[in-house]
Amino acid sequence: MGISSALAKDTNTAPQKVFNAKTRKLDNGLQIVVVENHRAPVITHMIWYRVGAADEVAGQSGIAHFLEHLLFKGQKHEQLGTLGPGEFSKIIRSLGGEDNAFTSQDYTAYFQSIASQHLETVMTMEAGRMRGLDVPSEDVASENKVIQEERRQRTENNPGALLDEQMREMLYANHPYGIPVIGWLHEIQALTRDQIFAFYNQYYAPNNAILIVSGDIKAEKVYEIAERTYGILKPETIPPRQYTSSPPFKASPSITMKDETVRQPEFKKIFRVPSFRQNKEKSLALQVLEEIMGGGPSSRLYKSLVIEQKLATSASFSYRANNWSDSTLYITATPAADQSLLKVQAAIDAELRKLVKDGITDEELSDAIKRMQAAAIYARDSLSGPAMVIGYNLITGSTLDDIEYWPRDIGAVTKEQILSVAKTYLDPDNPYEFPPVTGYLVPEAGEEQ
Amino acid sequence: MRIKTPVLYVLIFVIAALAPIQSLYAQQDDPFLDIKEVTSPGGIKAWLVEDHTVPVLAMEFVFRGKGSKNDPAEKQGLVRMASNTMDEGAGDIESQAFQKELQDLSLTLRFNVSRDHFGGSLKTLTQNQTRAFELLNLALTKPRFDEEPVNRMRDANKARLKSSVSNPRWIAARIQNDRIFENHPYAQNSGGTLSGLNNITPDDLRAFHKTLKKDDLIIAVSGDITAEKLASVLDQIFGGLPATTGEDEAKTEESKAPLTNAGKTYIFEMPIPQTNIEIAQPGISRSDDDYHAAQVMNYILGGGGFGSRLMDEVREKRGLTYGIYTYFREYKETDVYHVTTSTQNENVPQMLELIKAEWQKIKEEPVEQKELSDARSYLLGSLPLSLTSTDSIASLILSLQIDELPIDYLDKRQEKLRDITSSDIQRAAERILNADSFTTILVGQPEGISNAETIKTLPNVE
Repeated sequence: MGISSALAKDTNTAPQKVFNAKTRKLDNGLQIVVVENHRAPVITHMIWYRVGAADEVAGQSGIAHFLEHLLFKGQKHEQLGTLGPGEFSKIIRSLGGEDNAFTSQDYTAYFQSIASQHLETVMTMEAGRMRGLDVPSEDVASENKVIQEERRQRTENNPGALLDEQMREMLYANHPYGIPVIGWLHEIQALTRDQIFAFYNQYYAPNNAILIVSGDIKAEKVYEIAERTYGILKPETIPPRQYTSSPPFKASPSITMKDETVRQPEFKKIFRVPSFRQNKEKSLALQVLEEIMGGGPSSRLYKSLVIEQKLATSASFSYRANNWSDSTLYITATPAADQSLLKVQAAIDAELRKLVKDGITDEELSDAIKRMQAAAIYARDSLSGPAMVIGYNLITGSTLDDIEYWPRDIGAVTKEQILSVAKTYLDPDNPYEFPPVTGYLVPEAGEEQ
Repeated sequence: MRIKTPVLYVLIFVIAALAPIQSLYAQQDDPFLDIKEVTSPGGIKAWLVEDHTVPVLAMEFVFRGKGSKNDPAEKQGLVRMASNTMDEGAGDIESQAFQKELQDLSLTLRFNVSRDHFGGSLKTLTQNQTRAFELLNLALTKPRFDEEPVNRMRDANKARLKSSVSNPRWIAARIQNDRIFENHPYAQNSGGTLSGLNNITPDDLRAFHKTLKKDDLIIAVSGDITAEKLASVLDQIFGGLPATTGEDEAKTEESKAPLTNAGKTYIFEMPIPQTNIEIAQPGISRSDDDYHAAQVMNYILGGGGFGSRLMDEVREKRGLTYGIYTYFREYKETDVYHVTTSTQNENVPQMLELIKAEWQKIKEEPVEQKELSDARSYLLGSLPLSLTSTDSIASLILSLQIDELPIDYLDKRQEKLRDITSSDIQRAAERILNADSFTTILVGQPEGISNAETIKTLPNVE
């Protein structure tokens, strides 16, 4: 059953790889990864930079994200050409393609999905803006306003998002992950063109990037085009990544967001746990634990809180493995109509105590592993999906083998490993040195917590 | 069992609207996409795109006309609740055991609802297909509607509704549906009202389930399955449904309903720094001769995201918004053209003026050749991007059937888009665009707006 029989078609000796990706490094340090997939005559092209919001200078929050916006606002390079503001996306669209970008704490990525025959055009333009950004001052000013609108839309208009932002600020005290990726409003407003360009010049370079192409193209062809586009760029000196870190804390904070627009209360608790890069064994154990505690309608939290006790209408448990530094584990629940947040919280704590005391069963472990291995087959059923998965893993410190043999490694997780991470990080009676933060979202006239 | 908002059909229709073809990749006479029509021994038809790239297959289907527009006013949310509970136990298998089996086999089996149609989808690894088909058949023919899961889904829907009333975009859409579809079932809240959800009983769900019949079925399949195999399993899955329900459903084809409250502006006050803006005006029917010209016009005006005229004017030049989009939506009984955006409260009047100016400009000045050819190339060239996963292929060929298009539609479409000229666009713009017919919804604290009606209580929430 499970992944083994599905993947056993080709060979039945070595463990099967998930994507069968091919890789090569250019002389200038650019790592290239290719996943061939000939289903439709299209490719996804992604460039991932090993720089994100957590690399910003203190007091200049939002630079990494602002810069991401500016990469669409014009470029000028002797060999790779000149584009005016907005022209990059217009050319991609006129070729039938889609493009966009995103910024995280640890990385910034740009991507296009387009007919395979246009790969060289895309690579020429993307390589051109790697070192040749050229944005008129008036476009920087108008884009600042756009980003403020983006922040209003995503965060200021949304009490749940404001609560989350403040909880993370407490969870990651004195750590850059405590600052939102989009930046604090007052700091965004004060950002200057020079500050943003200094950041760009320092971090955007071939030896600080990973290029991923998935779709209908041969790896050798990708290397060849990359050589004559990205290949002409020189490596730069990249400063070593140095995130500030948090001291251990004793108190476990709880905060309440009261807002007159809120009608449905929400409970949220965020734990600080190891990322895959920091500890592979613990991270794999946390991934399986996530599947057991929060993976769908048969998961422990849903069964206990929603089906059996009727205290909540939804419950989730989600672990994010791919951070450069400490990761997060979120537990959230929506209380049922006549139930208080405190009762919901007590029920969650009871589930965590049970986990810490008794661990998990053999059946829970084998069922979870089977489902996760099946998910790896589905992961191949996509054009951009493989490029995404490979990108955020590699850029946060995983190796290609970590990704390709993930089903095998997940299959090796033991009950003891899971019990150990549960005890260290999730015990409500003995919090970890970076204690979890609890948040309550409540109506203006709601009960006191 | 997942509680989902009914975005599925929105996405499908948008894809279909943008769905011309790209002949560059195919031989001259090859079809763009090799769709086969498969008929089972029992006479059930499905469209199939066979593809053995990955050991996965996807099936999507709808029961035409069985959507949430059929909800009784005092039981709004009924069809939604049916979509949430039909996979919560069937035959002898109770809710938790049913869900656990789906999960253990890594199957996705769920039901969905739009205003017009009731639908479902199945996605499975080929190795588990036999059991997957059995479970789908059970869910379709013998759903249990036990008290426990029905209550659980009711509570989840109520909680979701109460969360939605903090979301300005949701509020704007709710008010818009209420205002533009006044006195029509489309004005109802398809996700249910708090009282409506309370009124729904397991027997109501059973009565709804009895209306699902073979005659209304549309089926699309893609992935790792052959035509022969599919023909045999279609009867196994769907054969047990009634051919007709015996009720008199000889509804005559209704003419399209006009939108109501044209020219009016409504404000819903919320203490937030940014106003959400939703504008609606009459759209265009799929069967209209100007339909394709209208798609190109929309791409140029605001459908294309980056590079569209509205995005250039309000975002790139003035920094007034993070995004502005326009889109057509075709329903069985009406057609709508939408504009959606947001801006800081003080900038709302300027934003509304800029939108109206673009409405005027595209009517008065012919679109330049470069802008036209770029728009056409996007619409022609982007289709393969929607054919990159097993379920996206199934969704696309399902949408063709829902729209009653021929099996070679994707090929015919190319010619039509290629032939669109700037005068076609101007004619379409002149016929369709009418800023005087805007129904405008503003949620936030917009400044400088006069002649607006204030909405105090959200319609069809309680």
